[in-house]
Amino acid sequence: MGKTFAFHSYKGGTGKTSLVVNLGATYAKQGANVCILDFDFRAPSLNVLFKAKPQFWLNDYLEEKCGMIDTLVDQSERLGLRGKFWVGFANPSLEALKDIMSKDRKWEVRALSKTLSGKKEILKEKLVDYLIYDTSPGAQYSSINALAGADLVSLVMKADEFDLEGTKELAKGVYEALGRKSGIVLNKIPLEQIAAAGGKEKFGKQIEAEVGLPLVGMIPCMCELMAFGGKSIYAIEKPEHIFSRSVGEIAETLKGM
Amino acid sequence: MLHIYNTNLCMCSAHKLSYSLGADLHKCGLAVSSRGTDPILVDLLKKMNRNMEVITRKLDKLIELQRSPSGPMLRPGVSLPDDMPLDVTTLLTLPDHLRKSALALSTLREATATDLSKETGRVRAVESDYLNQLVSMGLVRKKRKGRDVYFYVET
Repeated sequence: MGKTFAFHSYKGGTGKTSLVVNLGATYAKQGANVCILDFDFRAPSLNVLFKAKPQFWLNDYLEEKCGMIDTLVDQSERLGLRGKFWVGFANPSLEALKDIMSKDRKWEVRALSKTLSGKKEILKEKLVDYLIYDTSPGAQYSSINALAGADLVSLVMKADEFDLEGTKELAKGVYEALGRKSGIVLNKIPLEQIAAAGGKEKFGKQIEAEVGLPLVGMIPCMCELMAFGGKSIYAIEKPEHIFSRSVGEIAETLKGM
Repeated sequence: MLHIYNTNLCMCSAHKLSYSLGADLHKCGLAVSSRGTDPILVDLLKKMNRNMEVITRKLDKLIELQRSPSGPMLRPGVSLPDDMPLDVTTLLTLPDHLRKSALALSTLREATATDLSKETGRVRAVESDYLNQLVSMGLVRKKRKGRDVYFYVET
């Protein structure tokens, strides 16, 4: 049975999408079958990176207009990956964004059920080794639905006070309450901040103690990543880059969790 | 016209709502005992008052849950307002053992205790007990099909 990860954060802009895409590509490069799902229905972005126009969006699946498998598009051949690399896209149209914001709790009950049964369908039908959800930041219904279906939740955060305080709340109020195994990925960390804390290890321990969750990995801040965001998959195009190597370390840590 | 100004439902006791309504009725001179008031209007206000009482009862129940020593967690034996759906926010308030059953049932949509025990890996009798606790809390429904009892989440 494959593993399911969900990447979530308290605030937006923490780098979840880049991490999800690069992590998925890292596993697929190693020969694993991977599926990544854009559950960020309020700000979909995977369609930009993959320049995709799928026949069905994940929104269609939640509306019961198609099966989960119908939404998946294999990108492995185009990207030259050894394993399969399935991607499920969220609809970025304004109409779809407005529609998702108008849903009531009854709809969310069905959405939870569809999210959970969709996961089961993917793992069974596509023989996927890693299913990875990219989610909306904060306590959005679609995000928490995805977290409920995940084996492991990775909380992506920057190490500023805004993120730290909000992340602590999420860890206590959502992850712990859902009973999901969770960990932190520190992203966009200025090297000065690591140095001021007395090194990478000490800095990691400090954050672990504050949030109360184990550290999965740490990625330093790199301006060039911002410039190439949404254009390149570093794990494929620049495998020796520090970002790709950091994602590789995270991939190994997650395998063992 | 009735106004309830800036009522913070989380902070105040729900009784404040009833008080506020009564005060507004008096201000408008439309109390039930008022002289020569339009009976249709009085009827309408009585209906509104009854609805407000239902709302205050539900709110009091929720506030009581929120303030319980075990925090906002729902417990067996506590019945929820009729319209509380089993969405993920409700799941967050369930204890671990019931959340596992509720999540498995959400995945299967409709299942017998035997189906669910295959999903959770727990024995059928345990699953049956947990499902019936969820039924008594008003989160799950059950129906009979021949000799089998099916549990389901209403959507």
